[in-house]
Amino acid sequence: MMDLAASLLSPEFFAAILRVSTPIILVAMGVLISERAGVVNIGAEGMMLSGAFCGVVFSAYTGSATVGLIAAIVAGMVGGLFMSFAVHVLRANLFLSGIALNLAASAGTILALFSLTGEKGISGTLDSEVLPSVHIPWVQDLPVLGTILSGHHILTYVAFLSVPAVAIFMMRTPTGLRMRAVGENPEAAKATGLSVIRLQLQAFLLCGVFAGAGGAFLSMGYVSWFSQNMTAGRGFIALAAEVMGAGGAYGTLAASLLLGSVDVLAIALAGEGLPSELLQAAPYVVTVLALALYGLRQAKQKTIGTVH
Amino acid sequence: MIRSAFASTAITVGFCLFVLLVVLVPVALLYPEPGEVLSRFLLGPFEKTRYMGNIVELATPSMLTALAVVLMFRCGAFNLGVEGSFFLGGLTTAAMVLWMPLPPLVGIPLALLAGAIVGSLVCGIPGIVKATTGASELVSSLMLNYAAVFIGLFVLNYYLRDPTAAMLSSDRFPAEYRFESLIPRTRIHIGSIVAVVACIIGAIYLNRTSQGLEVRISGTGNDFSRHLGLNSVALNIRIQVIGGMIAAFAGGIEMLGLYSRFTWQNTTGNGWTGVIVAIIARDNPILIIPAALFIGYLQVGGDLVSRAFGVPTEIVSLIQALVMICVTSVAIFQHPALRKFVQGNRGEAAQ
Repeated sequence: MMDLAASLLSPEFFAAILRVSTPIILVAMGVLISERAGVVNIGAEGMMLSGAFCGVVFSAYTGSATVGLIAAIVAGMVGGLFMSFAVHVLRANLFLSGIALNLAASAGTILALFSLTGEKGISGTLDSEVLPSVHIPWVQDLPVLGTILSGHHILTYVAFLSVPAVAIFMMRTPTGLRMRAVGENPEAAKATGLSVIRLQLQAFLLCGVFAGAGGAFLSMGYVSWFSQNMTAGRGFIALAAEVMGAGGAYGTLAASLLLGSVDVLAIALAGEGLPSELLQAAPYVVTVLALALYGLRQAKQKTIGTVH
Repeated sequence: MIRSAFASTAITVGFCLFVLLVVLVPVALLYPEPGEVLSRFLLGPFEKTRYMGNIVELATPSMLTALAVVLMFRCGAFNLGVEGSFFLGGLTTAAMVLWMPLPPLVGIPLALLAGAIVGSLVCGIPGIVKATTGASELVSSLMLNYAAVFIGLFVLNYYLRDPTAAMLSSDRFPAEYRFESLIPRTRIHIGSIVAVVACIIGAIYLNRTSQGLEVRISGTGNDFSRHLGLNSVALNIRIQVIGGMIAAFAGGIEMLGLYSRFTWQNTTGNGWTGVIVAIIARDNPILIIPAALFIGYLQVGGDLVSRAFGVPTEIVSLIQALVMICVTSVAIFQHPALRKFVQGNRGEAAQ
């Protein structure tokens, strides 16, 4: 038990939280943009999976991790185009289009993997690249902070830097304001001359950029291969993080870190001999509990609002 | 109204076939004998009694999960917990069969009921959470699907596992608990009849009972139902619990109908198939029956070309995804020219 307490307070534990939270933060930022623009993107999971796949394939064939990352981002944006086509041109149901995208991405990546390598499960035969880790000068020499903050995957830093960037983009730029206007009241936004479809398309594409990068982190850093359905619901967890964060970038960051910590804690406890299956279930149960608590608080605030 | 329903159905059928060919033809062209691949996929499922039996076997669970989805969607609840409910229902039924030394006549219904109750949690909890806290049932049901699998695997690994089996699976079910095949050379079991009857009951419930009317009204928007004085919140919870029970019951039936021991390591996909079937059926319980058979037919066709030519079965999922988009597309279904084409001149008269 003392060992456990020691390992929970170790710098490595906090470093692991940052690592595990990275894909959730990235995708949640994308989901945030789409949600604020009025198009909640259930398809983020599928975008992420396509990103993870294209990152591995393109980096393996070009030998360049950068090309892989770009391909992953483009793959996410293609998912965004698909969503926009389904929702705006075909006027299909938003949620069902997202489910269809997830289904298509899951099947499509397996099909493509099979046609490239002859295997369906894992891209072991592809010699893919990983994105580099970054050691921050000065910081890495600090005693405890060095272990926590330095030596992470480059996309971990991108994820954390993207939080203020998204906050500024949504709250302080004209495009962000317009997106929020469209999300808040599309009719009114239309009446002021905004193009709802164009702004929502941009939101879908931006969501694709983040989800694709989140996928690239999984397959080009967290691990160095692609395996079928490797995102394992992280896109949905990002969705939950965004809801808990109440659509704010910093709140979403906090929620992502919380969900990431539960995951890391579960891994640490599994090492102590607790049943790993129950611990694996924990992040999902905690997410539902957190959503419920957040919902209660919202409801309370709403009633206070109506009384006054 | 009847004509409009007819037009929607006709367009749906048309698009299902269209999407099928759009995916299938290019894939077939990748193989040396495209004609063979096509005919194997499209006609193969009708060649043998066994294959047609497979269609019905595959359609059985998706009819029930689709019924669950239709009820919840019609009530306005966007709950996707059927996948987890199905899994937990199958697991609980298996556990009951293994643990309870009762005669099958009592034991089987009891095991299915227990499965339905435990499995209904995955759909029911998001419904209750939504009603009490306002948290989206969509996100929480997606989360609980994953939780259900891990909790189920815990029970399997610690309490049901057969230590002598090579893979992670439960002990064998006693033979007298397993459903017998109704038609020789197929594995069609009593569950198929139950599923069809359930869809008919579902249609009567939704369209011919006062509570069904309340479900439909509360599904169209809360304002109107509130003015009518309906208790939408209670109704919503009840429908989501019932939906979960139906999906979980389907899992139990699947377990006793087709398996000799519990072997699921992950969700089975039957819930998602149910969502697709529900959408193709345009949320109409009666149309679930043909829609589920159609999806079963696709799965058997995909399986046949996979075994004969090595075509990956994932093309079926791809077809399903595209069908889903097309069928929910308002732009397609309200396209004036298309409707006119399907309805002929009568359509104009109706307007």
